[in-house]
Amino acid sequence: MPENRSGTTTTADAQKISRKGFWRTLAIFFALIGPGIITSNVDNDAGGITTYSLAGSEFGLTLLWTLIPITAALIIVQEMCARMGVVSGKGLSDLIRERFGAKATFYLMIALFFTNLGNTISEFAGVAASLEIFGVSKYFSVPVSAFFVWWLVVKGNYKSVEKVFLVACVFYVSYIISGFMVRPDWTVIKTEFLTPTVRFDSRFLTMAVGVVGTTIAPWMQFYLQSSVVDKGLKAEDYQYARMDVILGSVIVNVVAFFIVMLCALTIFQAGVKIESAKDAALALAPLAGKYCTWLFAFGLLNASLFAASILPLSTAYTICEAFGWESSLNRKFTEAPQFYGLYSLMVLLGMGIILFPDIPLISIMFYSQVINGMLLPVILIFMLLLVNDRRVMGNYVNGWILNLVSYATIIVLIFLSGAMIFTSLT
Amino acid sequence: MTVHSSPQVFLFLSRILGKKIVDREGRPWGQVSDLVVSIADLYPPVTGVFFSPTGRKSTSRIPWQKIIEVGDRVVVDLLPPDDPLAATIGGGELLLKDSLLDKQIVDTHGAKILRVNDLHLLQVNHNLRLVHVDVGLRGLMRRVGLEKATDKFFQWFFDYHLSDHLIPWRYVQPLSSSDLLRLKITQDRLSQLHPADLADIIEELDIHKRSEVFQSLDVETAAEALEETDPKIQVRLIENLNPARASDIIEEMSPSEAADLLGDLPKDKAEGILNEMEKEMAEDVKELLVHPEEKAGGLMTTSFPSLPPQATVEEALNLLRRGAESLDLIYYLYVADEEGHLFGVVSLRTILMANPRATLADLIDARLVSVGLEAEKEEIASLFAKYGVKAIPVVDENNRIKGVITFKNLLEVVAPQLGK
Repeated sequence: MPENRSGTTTTADAQKISRKGFWRTLAIFFALIGPGIITSNVDNDAGGITTYSLAGSEFGLTLLWTLIPITAALIIVQEMCARMGVVSGKGLSDLIRERFGAKATFYLMIALFFTNLGNTISEFAGVAASLEIFGVSKYFSVPVSAFFVWWLVVKGNYKSVEKVFLVACVFYVSYIISGFMVRPDWTVIKTEFLTPTVRFDSRFLTMAVGVVGTTIAPWMQFYLQSSVVDKGLKAEDYQYARMDVILGSVIVNVVAFFIVMLCALTIFQAGVKIESAKDAALALAPLAGKYCTWLFAFGLLNASLFAASILPLSTAYTICEAFGWESSLNRKFTEAPQFYGLYSLMVLLGMGIILFPDIPLISIMFYSQVINGMLLPVILIFMLLLVNDRRVMGNYVNGWILNLVSYATIIVLIFLSGAMIFTSLT
Repeated sequence: MTVHSSPQVFLFLSRILGKKIVDREGRPWGQVSDLVVSIADLYPPVTGVFFSPTGRKSTSRIPWQKIIEVGDRVVVDLLPPDDPLAATIGGGELLLKDSLLDKQIVDTHGAKILRVNDLHLLQVNHNLRLVHVDVGLRGLMRRVGLEKATDKFFQWFFDYHLSDHLIPWRYVQPLSSSDLLRLKITQDRLSQLHPADLADIIEELDIHKRSEVFQSLDVETAAEALEETDPKIQVRLIENLNPARASDIIEEMSPSEAADLLGDLPKDKAEGILNEMEKEMAEDVKELLVHPEEKAGGLMTTSFPSLPPQATVEEALNLLRRGAESLDLIYYLYVADEEGHLFGVVSLRTILMANPRATLADLIDARLVSVGLEAEKEEIASLFAKYGVKAIPVVDENNRIKGVITFKNLLEVVAPQLGK
């Protein structure tokens, strides 16, 4: 009798599920999204926006096509991270420590700390630059934003922080709006977007490498995998994590597309020379109107603040995880001193260095991209070894096609990183 | 050989790994790649050495009896090519590097999850035993190869002598493999933790370790830990169990906690578990499940003592003594008739002071604070604050007692963020 009853209940439930199948799937998706979209959007940080606006204003629409292969590469790399997170239930630095030992991990973490510190500095530079457009002095804007970022993370909990981050993602729309404000000729753009153009002069190649380097950064692999683990996704939910990653990678490149296009149609066509994202925003005023400048500057502020809160956080998480120190936003300062210590140190240094008078901001941003490029191949190789390790991944290791594609992607990325370092040092 | 004259030497695993192995004549054999210990002992003795022959990737095992000396080099009493065994380990054996080094462990004394930086071994006579796990900064820097530099830096910069952070092996619960968790000794270690600490540790582990650790616990410890665990994680843990085991664990929980948990489970899973449960408990829980979680009916527990007014103090004491282990509340004894009509309450203090032959009717306190099944949590909280009681009975429209809300039940709903 009881069996009978539970039997009927299940059929009824099954019917309900199939009727509501689509909405149910959608609901699960929205409950599980977040990590991929947040990671990708942070990727469009101050450095990213600078690179995209330089690419557009110096080379017009010719670099637009590179966003297609970049999107594909980003999806391949991030998908592996998300899969490792879901299957192993562990963060990337945890896996690296267990597989490659203390020594390799130690030096890797030191390198990651300095790379991310460089990136954090450039985020605060982005905050300073964007608010200077609105006439706010950096001696006011940078300390206030650093305090805001620190307070948000130390005093908030993960759920509320994630919501703030997801809202921040929405503000990237400001770039899309400003893209439409210049009334682009879509047929020309479509042709340029779909025809690959390569010019063999060093400035063009450096810029192409810069666009790739700024989109696929070392820290994001750690951040993405940890947030997937934090969400507690199970192997059955993996398809949602993959959708999240793909959606995020596409969004990030749509935003990049609009920035490149906007600068190409205005600054490039007017023949104005710019050196930074701030120059780009200011150059837009006479060409596309002051609202366009404001939107551009607002987007830069949002992106910089967003990345300035996530980068130090991600670094602290990653390092504490590797060394087995308490690391959680749900702990108090005294319970996780290394975690909060590292986090606060990065915010403080990032802020402090920007406040030095006459600091060479452009070269700081540039060199932080170079170190990024040096570290990326190392991490990608570790990732490939791990994702093919059956002890970690069981039956979820890469198939041979995926391995072929990912090895090819990684070889190209290593080559490009090498090229970027080489060109920047000569 | 006497015990007194034998030297005691501490060795770190990181110093032994990679040492050259030679035979008596000094011919090179290879390098130490791992150590095997027998885990059954309180301080596990090393029973074998894994080594990789020079220039080859394969590993072989040398029994510990064949090791003559562990000094700058490891000298073995072997003649090629017959003696080394295949690189396998038996049940109850553990590879130190493979299963412990760089892995996570639970420090059951400090109730923390830590990562192993090094292992500390003690050599007495001819035995080498695992005694401590090194989780400190110094151990990490030793692995990196900067131990001395770090020592000097701390001395010079902070005028601070950096010492090793060692945890005795008897407080260590390894987590790296599910086999290790099934061992008898390790189960005992986890059950020594306070349930609230154990729950914190379970929450902190990754999803796979979480269910492995949970499934290794005995039913009673599992139930205690589960009561303290975050509701979302509770659901995950129970979903992974078969209904029989899940119902065993849930039966050990208090009815109100059990009802909250079952209410969060998918319907068919919850019914499967209810069918497996003892009839009496299942009925209590089903009754609680009817009420919304945040109202009096959902907050209350049905596990409370109650007797008719004509019962004697002696009967009351017996009831409390028998129920002390399983009842959610023993401080108040509710006086109600067969149908459950509530007359009043007698506190444990009154019962202890009273004459054993007195009846409850003589002792009853009829100035009783009670709430209806639909009372909201805010209303209940203000009653607790106003009257300073430890529990409040819940009655239906005919004044029949349905359950009791303890202060603990209320606190979890009103201030869930506390103690997390």
